[in-house]
Amino acid sequence: MFLSIILVFCILGTIVYTVSQKISQEMSSSAIQNLSESLDLIQCTIEAILRNEAEFQTLIAQEIARTEDPEEYICVYERNQTIVRMSFILSGKTEGLSNTGEPFTEEGLDFSAGGTVNGLPVSQSYLNYMGTWAYTIKCPVEREGKEIGTLYIEYVYDTIDRSLPRDGFYNKQASLYIMDAESERFVLKPKGMGMRSAGHLNLDDFYRANNIQDPAIREEVAACLEEGRNILFYHDVRDVQALNYMWPINDGTIFMVGYVPVEAIQQEGRTVNQNIVIVVVTMLSAFFLCILLYYLNWRQQDKVRREREEERRVHSQQLAEALQAAQVASESKTTFLSNMSHDIRTPMNAVLGFTTLLNRDAEDPAKVREYTGKIMASGQHLLSLINDILDVSKIESGKVVLNYEEFSLSSAAAAVCAIIQPMAEAKGQTFQAEVTGVRNDCLVGDETRINQVLINLLSNAMKYTPEGGHIWLRITGLKQRSGQYEHIRIEVEDDGYGMTPEYLKIIFDAFTRAENSTTNKVQGTGLGMAITKSIVELMGGSIEVFSQVDQGSLFRVDIELRIAEQQTKAPQPVSAPETGEEYSLEGLRFLVAEDNEINAEILQELLGMEGASCEIAADGRLAVERFRRSEPGEFDAVLMDVQMPVMNGHDAARAIRELEREKGGRIPIIAMTANAFAEDEKAALDAGMDAHVAKPLDVRLLKRVIRKHIERRDAR
Amino acid sequence: MKQCSKRGVRRWAAACLAALMVLALASCGGGEPPTNLVTSDKEEGRDVNLFSPMEKTDPNAENVARTASDLTVAMAEEKLGVTVAYRTYTAETYQDRTYDDVALDRARSNMDDLYLLNPDTIMTLGLEGKLADLSGLDSAKNLRDIIFTANVVDGKLVAIPQEVVAYGLFVNVDMFKQYGLELPNTPEEFLECCRVFKENGISTPIGANRWWLETFVFAQAYAGLYNGGNTEEEIAALNSGEAKYSDYMRPGFEFLQTLIDEGYVDAEKALVSEAIEAEGPDFLAQRTPIVMAYWGAANSETAYAKTDFEMQVIGFPSSWGQMPVMPMTGWGVGAQAEHLEDAMKVIDVITSDEALRLYSEHNRVISPSKNVKVDCVPALRPLNDRIEEGVYVLGSNAGMKVEQWGNTCQIVQKLLGGATVDECMAAFDELQADTLG
Repeated sequence: MFLSIILVFCILGTIVYTVSQKISQEMSSSAIQNLSESLDLIQCTIEAILRNEAEFQTLIAQEIARTEDPEEYICVYERNQTIVRMSFILSGKTEGLSNTGEPFTEEGLDFSAGGTVNGLPVSQSYLNYMGTWAYTIKCPVEREGKEIGTLYIEYVYDTIDRSLPRDGFYNKQASLYIMDAESERFVLKPKGMGMRSAGHLNLDDFYRANNIQDPAIREEVAACLEEGRNILFYHDVRDVQALNYMWPINDGTIFMVGYVPVEAIQQEGRTVNQNIVIVVVTMLSAFFLCILLYYLNWRQQDKVRREREEERRVHSQQLAEALQAAQVASESKTTFLSNMSHDIRTPMNAVLGFTTLLNRDAEDPAKVREYTGKIMASGQHLLSLINDILDVSKIESGKVVLNYEEFSLSSAAAAVCAIIQPMAEAKGQTFQAEVTGVRNDCLVGDETRINQVLINLLSNAMKYTPEGGHIWLRITGLKQRSGQYEHIRIEVEDDGYGMTPEYLKIIFDAFTRAENSTTNKVQGTGLGMAITKSIVELMGGSIEVFSQVDQGSLFRVDIELRIAEQQTKAPQPVSAPETGEEYSLEGLRFLVAEDNEINAEILQELLGMEGASCEIAADGRLAVERFRRSEPGEFDAVLMDVQMPVMNGHDAARAIRELEREKGGRIPIIAMTANAFAEDEKAALDAGMDAHVAKPLDVRLLKRVIRKHIERRDAR
Repeated sequence: MKQCSKRGVRRWAAACLAALMVLALASCGGGEPPTNLVTSDKEEGRDVNLFSPMEKTDPNAENVARTASDLTVAMAEEKLGVTVAYRTYTAETYQDRTYDDVALDRARSNMDDLYLLNPDTIMTLGLEGKLADLSGLDSAKNLRDIIFTANVVDGKLVAIPQEVVAYGLFVNVDMFKQYGLELPNTPEEFLECCRVFKENGISTPIGANRWWLETFVFAQAYAGLYNGGNTEEEIAALNSGEAKYSDYMRPGFEFLQTLIDEGYVDAEKALVSEAIEAEGPDFLAQRTPIVMAYWGAANSETAYAKTDFEMQVIGFPSSWGQMPVMPMTGWGVGAQAEHLEDAMKVIDVITSDEALRLYSEHNRVISPSKNVKVDCVPALRPLNDRIEEGVYVLGSNAGMKVEQWGNTCQIVQKLLGGATVDECMAAFDELQADTLG
């Protein structure tokens, strides 16, 4: 596109240039011809004057020849504008008489140059008695074929001046001098004001005034003067291009000298040049306009192209990042799976191994207790693994919903301490907890999740603190930002192994662990901290960690919890957990809805071990039917599985509550399900159940829940 | 986007085509040509022919005096609607006829209307009755008395100058300082300065031409006559023959003879030299510390307006101290001029107060009008101060029957040519006798 524009304009430019050159050449030759013709005309005019003068002089000579006394004839002649002096010298004499009455000799007249007019000798130019430039023509006076004398007539150049146009030629712009060829002096000059300046005296002056210094030109001029040829040449006069000329008159006895500005000859030239300039300017404008349009178009396209490239680059980058993230995630999950495989297989190996040993040593009660204890521990570990995995999975998928309820911060802290304290003692660690500066103890929040955060941080501290180490839990009330929110800082500090700076960067990433599980005895899913951070952020808080290797670690959680409208509970000091008497299920009878036979059997056995009895219903409907048929007070509580065929636990609970409207009373219904999440618990409560106990069953927890709800029923 | 740009190009192309069509139509337009293609608005012009010398030096140099004069002529052309045609002459060499000779011939032959004349030709032509009486012009009423008096011949005001031409010594102050010399006041001091210059290797301390050495003579001859308070009586005595010009002239000629004898002036060179042409380059090149010239030369690039040294213009040495010499160059009108009426009007305009103010401001000269005063250039202040004090010598005086400027110049040229002082004095006596009859 651009090249084609350039090409088109190059062609047009060439055409315009060629045309203008041609016009210029034609104008130039026309100017030369024009000036030559004008000069020829002036030359002819002057030569005609000279010839007339000569002819007239010849006539006078003839007249004188006819007179008896030529000198008397001369004396009566009065000067006029053409003939300013007439003189006569008789043959054989050197002195004659002028019409002025003065004696006349040929002395002072120079005929040596040999110039003639009509065959009559003409003298060189001279300054005459009138103070003006003049020339003399001499003519023999013959009577009857015999020369009786010579007639000398003096003419002034002013005669020629009067014959030239009064206003000069070429609109007064041309300059015209008459130069005597022999002396090279200017004998007739223009009459402009500038004539008083230097440069009008002679040819040298002319050269100087007009700065004609080129030796070639001057040599050529000299040759022309010598040979009586005319010459025309270009030379700038006062910065204006001019045609300079030397034009011989009367075979070169005198010359016309001068210059004409080219513009004066080519008056149309200016218009032509202006038009050419207009065309060129128009073309250039069009050219630059095209260039501009092309440029704008190109810029627009370039902008679009760059935008597209940028878009593609961003897409590529995003894809690359996504790919990298996917790869990282994949690698992490591969690592995680590898770890999990190891971590699950390890306790599973213990379970299966000790089960084998149990089978072999079933008769030895001590070993049975030992093996079952280890199987229990391995099972617990497996459970925690599964819980964490499920938790993180839910958090990552955004399905976690916080259950905001009023709770007592001090109670929650106490409950956590009750869990941690014995574990710490068991590991030989010192655990200290304190709650300070909290203005409002009753807050609104997800107590379970707060507990989870505390337990995660504390169990993590315990995990990475060696025996004899210290663990501190500090719950501090910070300055409130709003009257409706309590600003709380939770700090868990230990003086354990600490962490490397590198690990600090990824501690909150999922599926990471301080050491690879194959080389580290510390067991865990590597999800605890990720879960903790996610929960804290879900609650609108922040978590930081400070740690140095072998110095210990400090986890700091800042959260804001809404203050409950009524502070029903006074802050309770954090204390060791209650160690009250173990609750007994002795004599109680339960309706159990459980579709899994093994689970049903286990539950039956566990309850049996506690002195309680139960009746199993294989699904929800059967359970409802059984409850319908039951006598009031036949069952103390219903233990309801959730996922069951025919009718699930929720529907069954709702049906039972429906039946109770007819029958009266309210039996505690406790959900026992592998659906262990908070929302599962909420769904269970919404279905009319009273509590939720996750599988695998923690018998102590179950007993506590049962006691709580049976006592509540009894209270009613 | 592509569609859009195509549409834009089409729009531009359409606009360009429209513009071209408009141009083409405009170029085809035009009214019907008239039947007679020649517009004859020629008027018979009124010419006034002016004869003046032509500049001979550098063609590109500005001659402020000439430019100033041209400005006033242009003013006259504009006011009167006339065309002033310049006719010029300048001798190519010393062998040629002088400007004064040609001016005399031309005036006698009624060749021109207006003439720029030197004092002697004013006197000569005035006495011959070839110059018109200008006393009736308005501009004549503004002339300073001394100027008016100096240009009256036979009771007629025959010339009016555009500037008071004052001659002085142009000295290179730097060279005077270099040799510890004070600027001279008396002939003795002047000779001492020349001696010191000569001894210091300056072969010719005074640059001279064939025209202006007479100023030394005038300064010494007439210092007492014009400044002694008895001018009219002394001139009357000279005009009656009771006193001899030669008695006045002798000290000046003897002084010149001394300058020549001591080699302070190169007489042979001076005799064939035109004004400024010969001595100017040496003065500007600081090879000559002293030259003589007219006031305007200090303002003119063609003369001494641009020097590489400190220049001052002082009066000529005389027993009365530094003495300016003032000849009266002026414009005269031919009594039988072809265009007498217009020529009178032109001279009235070019010597009016308005024109003289323009002239003097441009040229920084002393104006002949008593109503025009301008500051002079610093170099001219010493000379100007003397003139303002009324201390000067006239180089020409129409009141003296023997013409001074031209005759003295010719007799000085005789001295340069080898004549003795006595022979020169005899020439004055003869001249006085011839003139007084």
